Amino acid sequence: MNQDFLFKVSNISKYYGQNIGCKNVSLDINSGEVLGIVGESGSGKSTLLNCIYGNLEVDEGDIFLKDKSKSILNFTKISEPKLRLIQRSDLAFVHQNPRDGLRMNISAGGNIGERLMAIGHRNYGEIREIASNWLEKVEIDIGRIDDKPSTFSGGMQQRLQIARNLVTRPRLIFMDEPTGGLDVSVQAKILDLLRNLVRELGIAAVIVTHDLAVVRLLADRIIVMQNGNVIEAGLCDQVLDDPQHKYSQLLVSSVLQV
Amino acid sequence: MSKSDNLDIQIYNFAYLDENTKRMIRRALLKALCIPGYQVPFSSREMPMPYGWGTGGIQVTSACLIPDDVLKVIDQGADDTTNAVSIRKFFQKTANVAVTEKTSDASIIQTRHRIPETKLKEKQILVYQVPIPEPLRFLEPRETETRKMHALSEYGLMYVKLYEDIAKHGHIETAYAYPVKTNGSYVTDPSPIPKFDNPKMNNNPAIQLFGAGREQRIYAIPPYTNVKSLDFEDYPFEPMKANFKCSICGSSDSYLDEIIVSDDGKRSYICSDTDYCQEQTRLNLKKEDQL
Repeated sequence: MNQDFLFKVSNISKYYGQNIGCKNVSLDINSGEVLGIVGESGSGKSTLLNCIYGNLEVDEGDIFLKDKSKSILNFTKISEPKLRLIQRSDLAFVHQNPRDGLRMNISAGGNIGERLMAIGHRNYGEIREIASNWLEKVEIDIGRIDDKPSTFSGGMQQRLQIARNLVTRPRLIFMDEPTGGLDVSVQAKILDLLRNLVRELGIAAVIVTHDLAVVRLLADRIIVMQNGNVIEAGLCDQVLDDPQHKYSQLLVSSVLQV
Repeated sequence: MSKSDNLDIQIYNFAYLDENTKRMIRRALLKALCIPGYQVPFSSREMPMPYGWGTGGIQVTSACLIPDDVLKVIDQGADDTTNAVSIRKFFQKTANVAVTEKTSDASIIQTRHRIPETKLKEKQILVYQVPIPEPLRFLEPRETETRKMHALSEYGLMYVKLYEDIAKHGHIETAYAYPVKTNGSYVTDPSPIPKFDNPKMNNNPAIQLFGAGREQRIYAIPPYTNVKSLDFEDYPFEPMKANFKCSICGSSDSYLDEIIVSDDGKRSYICSDTDYCQEQTRLNLKKEDQL
């Protein structure tokens, strides 16, 4: 067993009535590692992500989390206050649509500052300074700090969402299609940014996507899902270069070449 | 019900509401006093006046009134404005209680938007009329979520509002309904009193009860409870008032109303608390007499 895991997911299943969300999924998320989850839409990627993050209750199985003091918690059984505390300090969640992850009627600075204030920062000057630093890191002009995200372009909104999530230095960031719905040049910019930030800060990440190019660029390991089951898992290059399962082969071969 | 020659009051139960309703409200009040700042749901009744006229405050007053009470009603600090006059008349008619304009003589004071300037004492009850009891409402529209935030003391969002104020205006612009933390735990909306009045809530010897009729919530601050206005370390809370003297009594430390006195926009400032203003005027005359 890998001793450096952050999350250890063992045999979790989630059902929506008769339908399977995900079934008997086991995986480890190690600290500092980027894990990609790929598969067609409806294959249970987002369900799995939300189960691990704690947004959805799992029906079977256990999720273990190693907290900052290295003690191991059963994530499916901890109390709600503790879950929410871990979610807002240790974890982060980047939504596909920045409107789900941002407060659109609050300035960019306020959006970044919210997580800081939630964990007890009470000094305006400090909060503002940290917010400006993060705007710089995600390449948004500092002059826009008091503008509302509704005046930002889609790519800027997504970068702001990333800044807002990373400001408290979480140990793990969950991303649900972070570049979906953006045009390719903006996508490339965000991927570049994410790759640098994740490497620089040593943050672990779980990225759900249907875009194989995204995982190729970012992920160390990937798992391939179909109909709620994990059908293949392994190192990123290994799975993409030499897919074993029929569906993975189909997935890899259907990437358009320019 | 006390016997009275007044025919009007026999049509109603004492203080308008029936005894079971008053009992229900008292239970909510007791719970509210036990958990300072916590919003207790109660089954608010239809009152013979529209929402926004103080239906919550009236129900709370009605549940607290006893025949020996002396009632004072103020609206924006004044005893003689429409809202205050009609509520005072309402209780005179339905409960036949004594009324007063003097803060120090009253045992129950129902108020809209002010705390009297005269210091309150033990055994006095201050009843606030509250339009929106939830301080987080305009930041988080979901009631299920705000309740959870209160339960888990997740108040980061409240500070986001203050942050936005400073970012936009250079100081905390919120001038009324300024959020407070009650007894170190629940963040509470002090109803739309000016933030000038916030310090008066802290460690007050009187019982402070809050009734929101439309929103069906009751909350309370028991006597001698710590009430702290939220702020940032580098932008501390500051009470605020117009920097003038009352043009009637000359007081410079009471909260002032701005009044436009002529068509060309001449302004005058007078105390919003009419009882306090009269008292100051009386004291001034006395001083002049002594000279």
